[in-house]
Amino acid sequence: MKVTNRLSRRALTVGLSAGVLIAGAATLPGAAFAADYPTKPIELIVPYAAGGGTDLVARAFADAAKKHLPQPIGVVNKTGGGGAVGLTEIMAARPDGYKIGMGTVEITLLPHMGVARFTVDDFTPIARLNAEPSAITVKADSPWKTFEEFLDYAKANPGKVRIGNSGTGAIWHLAAEALADKTGTSFNHVPFDGANPAVTSLLGGHIEAVSVSPAEVSSQLAAGQLRMLAIMADQRQKAFPDVPTLKEKGIDLTVATWRGIVVPKKTPAAVVETLRTASKAAAEDQSFRDQLAKMNLTWAYADGPEFGQVMQKDNAFFKGMMTKLGMAK
Amino acid sequence: MHELDLLMSGFATLASNPLALLLALVGVTLGIVIGALPGLTATMGVAILLPFTFGMDPVSGLLMISGVFFGGVYGGSVTAILLRIPGTPAAAATALDGFELTRKGMAGVALGTATLSSFLGGTASIFVLIFMAPILAGFALEFSAPESFALAVFGLSIIASISGRSVIKGLIAGFLGLLIATVGMDPMDGFPRFTGGYTELFNVPFIPVMIGLFAAAEAFKTLEDPKVRLGMAAALGRILPDWPTYRRMLGTVARSSGLGIVIGIIPGAGADIAAYVAYNEAKRFSRTPENYGKGELAGVAACEAGANGCTGGALLTMLTLGIPGDAVTAVMLGALTLQGLQPGPLLLKDHADLVFTLFAGMLFCYVAMLVIGLASLRFMGRVLQMPKSVLTPVILVLCIVGTYAINNSLFDIGVMLAAGVAGYFMQKWDFPASPVVLALIMGPMAEANFRRALSLSSGSYDFLYTRPITVVLLSVAVLTLLLPLVKRWRAHRMESRRPGATSPLHQIK
Repeated sequence: MKVTNRLSRRALTVGLSAGVLIAGAATLPGAAFAADYPTKPIELIVPYAAGGGTDLVARAFADAAKKHLPQPIGVVNKTGGGGAVGLTEIMAARPDGYKIGMGTVEITLLPHMGVARFTVDDFTPIARLNAEPSAITVKADSPWKTFEEFLDYAKANPGKVRIGNSGTGAIWHLAAEALADKTGTSFNHVPFDGANPAVTSLLGGHIEAVSVSPAEVSSQLAAGQLRMLAIMADQRQKAFPDVPTLKEKGIDLTVATWRGIVVPKKTPAAVVETLRTASKAAAEDQSFRDQLAKMNLTWAYADGPEFGQVMQKDNAFFKGMMTKLGMAK
Repeated sequence: MHELDLLMSGFATLASNPLALLLALVGVTLGIVIGALPGLTATMGVAILLPFTFGMDPVSGLLMISGVFFGGVYGGSVTAILLRIPGTPAAAATALDGFELTRKGMAGVALGTATLSSFLGGTASIFVLIFMAPILAGFALEFSAPESFALAVFGLSIIASISGRSVIKGLIAGFLGLLIATVGMDPMDGFPRFTGGYTELFNVPFIPVMIGLFAAAEAFKTLEDPKVRLGMAAALGRILPDWPTYRRMLGTVARSSGLGIVIGIIPGAGADIAAYVAYNEAKRFSRTPENYGKGELAGVAACEAGANGCTGGALLTMLTLGIPGDAVTAVMLGALTLQGLQPGPLLLKDHADLVFTLFAGMLFCYVAMLVIGLASLRFMGRVLQMPKSVLTPVILVLCIVGTYAINNSLFDIGVMLAAGVAGYFMQKWDFPASPVVLALIMGPMAEANFRRALSLSSGSYDFLYTRPITVVLLSVAVLTLLLPLVKRWRAHRMESRRPGATSPLHQIK
């Protein structure tokens, strides 16, 4: 009995130490794996269709990142649900850094409408790459020369001014709603299937204004067909130095859409670090900045933590906004 | 003729740029292949090629993309005619008569007619783009939500003329399509409807449904047929229709091209709508409307001229206003912007040389499409000689791969296969599939624009009768729906007046 007992105890010790060794051996390559990251190509999920603005930013970024990462980044478009399908895929991806995503402002919008399985806290921000403010634009032959005139008219005729947006619950709709809320006016918000049809409708004189970004009206502005009255940014835009911000007009409101690299929440810190460093280098690469400028997109790099603050701030703002509008679920 | 001079110098510039011509050829070829494969549409082809054009000079890059666009619109017709697999939504209309012609052993002439009509419609639209762009640009702006709604209602009324043998069954299929079209995100309020919690269903998976209803259903059907080959005349026979035959169709081609151009200019309406409208009007003006749906060459000609007529119209709006009317031109707008050319009212003023070189290149693309198309038809026609044991699996694989490629989504494959099974039984019980496709295109357009129009008018229904374009389109829609009934009623009265004859209505009983 004694012998077997001792034997079994020895067997236990041996077994345990072997177990520890095996576990150690298993963790060691794991750690080395994270340090080696990336050892295979990285997939970048884009929640919108190929050829659109988000896709173009993603492809320009993937191109620029080639120089700064040992492995290439491949762009994969997962469209549907106004971005919900792709963003869900990013959230649910294995957090090993091989499936990263192009996060957009919809991360802070869709969860409140009850149409998404994720919340803003399911993502770790890596880098914001681009941001576009909302702007109030009217027809060039409209009677409103300044933002004050426009606002006075809207106040005098509540519900008469029709503002086109890119879809109910989309960023430009909320921008116009926020403007109405801050200034105590009421607009007639008309949703379109994207920003382009809204601009077409404005050109045809079927609506009074649009709240889409400056980039989406730039060619009609250049041709003198439209007039931009104000932008909802902290500072004036470089491309449109004459257009005042709402802040200058005493209205404390900034609304912008943004696009940036995000990863699932549980991604190891070492992988996040590698991606942050590489993203910073890629975003600051002149080729990336040139590519964005060519597409009329505004370069707006922000490092992970700073990007995270923007996400949290927007999330709180839009949640309050949508609750007030009765859109939140 | 200032434009003519510019065009001539455009041709001269183009001739000195052989690389651009070569890339245009590559683009057209790729486009035809992409168009012919189910699921891969011109939009996708253009989007995939876009990154490759970054490094090219503007003319080469843009011509390659234009080539893919044009070839993609045309390419869908080849498989639609040969196998009843529409590669693109527009080709679903071509399949109506095209496949019937193949069944009759006239695949060659059908393909030739489709190629020739695509070429004519497309070329006409580019000429309109070159010479009349500034005049027509304003027309796009006349189109607001009420007009788009009326156009969609008119589109829906076409169900009456593509129903085939039984109007009732066609209407049932059409309403089925409308019901399916209500699934997804509410276009105005953004709330999900009938999605069962699947985010994948927020947008109606339209192309998977179409691939399933046509291609997969056809593949399932061949499984039950014991013959080794498809049993259609294996030899293509004559490819180019003889001149007297084609001359009779020229009126149809001209009318369809015109319709295609106008519909192309309208924002939000594309080649699919153009093909169906052109088919409907061809039937309306035909002296033998009863042949439509049973293999009428003019039906194929109308669809193809209409679909390709759209290309120039869509480009016109995009180039002159800087606003893309559909998904393809949206990607092309990106391509132009990347090349440093900002589409919009200033484009023609600031970059006239370059733009007219592009126009010259587009005409070259269409000629290339004609040549490549005609030259490859014999080769493509071999498909019919393939044993079914090879062809059917290949078709099913293409259906699955093509469906997956749209959104990289396995869910869509499930939708496609379900639609395939539904389509199989619809064929068995003689329900036409085209009305479903048409309703899926027009239903969401009608709904969104009706509600948008109400929003624009603050809830007043006045837009239904105070806007001229809306009134005209709605009236035409009502006529399209009622005319066949009136005709039948008159025929019925004539019959019953003849002494001793029993009424056809009674015979049915």
